[in-house]
Amino acid sequence: MGADLVSIANSGARAARTALDVTANNIANASSAGYIRRSVGLSELGANSVSSAPTAINLAGVRVSGVVRNADMFRQAEVRRTGSDAARAGAEVTGLENIEAALEQTGVYDSIVGFEGGLQQLLSDPVDGSLRASVVEQGRTLAQTFNVAAKSLDAVGEGLRFEALDGVDAVNRIAGELARVNLRLSRAADASSDQTALLDQRDNLLQELSGHVDLTTSFNADKTVAVIIGGPSGGALVSGGAAGTMAMTTAPGGTVAFTLDGNAVTIGGGAIAGKSLALTELAQDHIKLDAVASSLITTVNNAQAAGVDLAGNSGQPLFAGTGAADMAMVASGGGALATAPASAGAQSRNPANLVALRSALGTADPAGGMDALLFGVSSAVAGRSITRDALASISSSAQVALQAQAGVDLDQEAVNLVRYQQAYQASARIMQVASDIFDSVLAIR
Amino acid sequence: MSIVSTSTGAFFERARSDMKNLRTQAEGLQAQLSSGNKLDRSSDNPVAASRLRALDRLTSLSSIDAANAGRANSDLTLADAAMSDITDALVRAQELASQAATGTTTDEQRSSIATELDQIHGSLLSLANARDSDGHALFGGEGAGDAYQLDASGNAVYVGTPAAGELPLGEGQSVTRSMTGPEFLAFTDGSGNTTDLLATIKGLADALKGGATDPASAARDALGTLQTGLDTLTTGQTVVGTRLAWIELTTDRRSNLADLRSTEQADLGATDVTSTIARLQETLLVLEASQSSFGKLSDLSLFSMLH
Repeated sequence: MGADLVSIANSGARAARTALDVTANNIANASSAGYIRRSVGLSELGANSVSSAPTAINLAGVRVSGVVRNADMFRQAEVRRTGSDAARAGAEVTGLENIEAALEQTGVYDSIVGFEGGLQQLLSDPVDGSLRASVVEQGRTLAQTFNVAAKSLDAVGEGLRFEALDGVDAVNRIAGELARVNLRLSRAADASSDQTALLDQRDNLLQELSGHVDLTTSFNADKTVAVIIGGPSGGALVSGGAAGTMAMTTAPGGTVAFTLDGNAVTIGGGAIAGKSLALTELAQDHIKLDAVASSLITTVNNAQAAGVDLAGNSGQPLFAGTGAADMAMVASGGGALATAPASAGAQSRNPANLVALRSALGTADPAGGMDALLFGVSSAVAGRSITRDALASISSSAQVALQAQAGVDLDQEAVNLVRYQQAYQASARIMQVASDIFDSVLAIR
Repeated sequence: MSIVSTSTGAFFERARSDMKNLRTQAEGLQAQLSSGNKLDRSSDNPVAASRLRALDRLTSLSSIDAANAGRANSDLTLADAAMSDITDALVRAQELASQAATGTTTDEQRSSIATELDQIHGSLLSLANARDSDGHALFGGEGAGDAYQLDASGNAVYVGTPAAGELPLGEGQSVTRSMTGPEFLAFTDGSGNTTDLLATIKGLADALKGGATDPASAARDALGTLQTGLDTLTTGQTVVGTRLAWIELTTDRRSNLADLRSTEQADLGATDVTSTIARLQETLLVLEASQSSFGKLSDLSLFSMLH
């Protein structure tokens, strides 16, 4: 009987020490990313001996039934879903903001207004050399700002494609790691420390993956995970120990498409989707910028052809090129401006062709076209920013909700520390009592 | 966030994100104050930004309108002064013509009058060829050189273009920047012939030099013709005065519109300093409160109570 008491006290002390270990581990990992609070599952140890009757009271102490991981599958899925949306919106807004900066800060609009102003001023004296030179220089500035804007848009596109490709690489890396975690999970003992660590790793990887793409997960009985990307009917990225390979292709306009193991897949969420959306917008904006530049080139060159320059020769094109990227001022000097109508001679002060050019520019309205382009991009940024803020706040709520349930609360750990310390001390005391009882039995003479 | 947290990580995370938001807001307000602009980039308010672009464009084009109006104003003022000088010369020519028309004037006197009339003709020619602020012929329309040139027989012939150039004054208005010579020098004389003042004076001088059998009668005819010419000139000068007044009117209108534009620009894009400072104060107060309450709460740890 005394031996029973010692073994019960021993099991109690062992359980308390395990619980203290787990508490210490929780405290140590209070700020580890993705760490889920653990607790010790204890259950009574029932031991029937052959000699005792089935109804007899049998006391055998306590055993540690397992390390419990306080994870809520639903909240984790919510964090992944909302995080994926927030990442998509964030990446799209960042891309659009870069497009906006490329179009706005290069000052294309201002240089169009400057060119218009130069032409207007030339009306006051069409043969004035300095006014003519100023129009040509403003035209040169105009062509150069269009070049810079086109180059900046290209640079934004390059950056977005590079980041998208980096995202695809990250997806492939995470998929490989998930497949390895799946293999180890299927071999790990149930409810062991080893398994809980693997589960933490699995959930961390899933969350990281959800930042890049939208994913659908299903969990198997052995706690391995199957991941499908590109909507519920998309392709399988991870299935058991096998991982698929994602790849990116670039279309001529700079937009991107994705494949999984060679099959086309539509990515609807995550940063990769956001970058793809921004690239689509970028391609459209580039076309619009080219349209403004090309209409300006055509209008000015057509008007030039209808008049004669300062020397009385028929007007030559002012601008070369067909779009924003290759637009260039080709006039040799102010004299090349064809301000006078075709019938006029050299040094003519007749501004009829200049008036016609201004009226044609008024109809083509490059400033209005540029304003519409800027307005379109900036209102897209403004609208998407509101969506992004809403999605970020939803995602952050989901994360806090998960943290509140699965994270470590130091106050509670302090309570547990005291509780299991006392339990340990009590078990030790029981051992002493058992020893005292045994001694008193020995002392009988 | 309405979630009551029990996790230490969640508490720190929430406090961090709340304080970061407040800090971002405060920095945004500070940036508005220091830049004086409500809009940092178009996407802050796309509609207002588009309107501001249009207003900036109008302001920049309007300043060129103002420069053009100034040029037209100086050209017309120069034209007005030249026309006044022509009037003075004509008045002198009229005096000389009435002297020559008197029967008592001798042929020698008529001859010297003719010499003076030749001088007047010369000065009228140079006045008609006066230059504008750009150095072009003031009364030559859009011609490249002089307005009048002497032909082989010494007659002044108009060589400019038929109409004077127009300058836009903005808001779709424009003004003719000067007059062509024929517009105020040419007229129809008493016998229904089209002539001009230069030809009249040259004709009179030639007649007085012996070209006419009855110089006194020729001088009397010329007196009537000169009066008609003077009337035409005065009409021309009135037109110039009206154009100057028109420029003044459009200049007033332009400055009124510029005032309206700058008011709208300030409403749309400029920082409202008072309310921004008040909001900044409020944000800073909340930020300070949340920082100090965070300090107090994070100090509360059960571990510090355990000994």
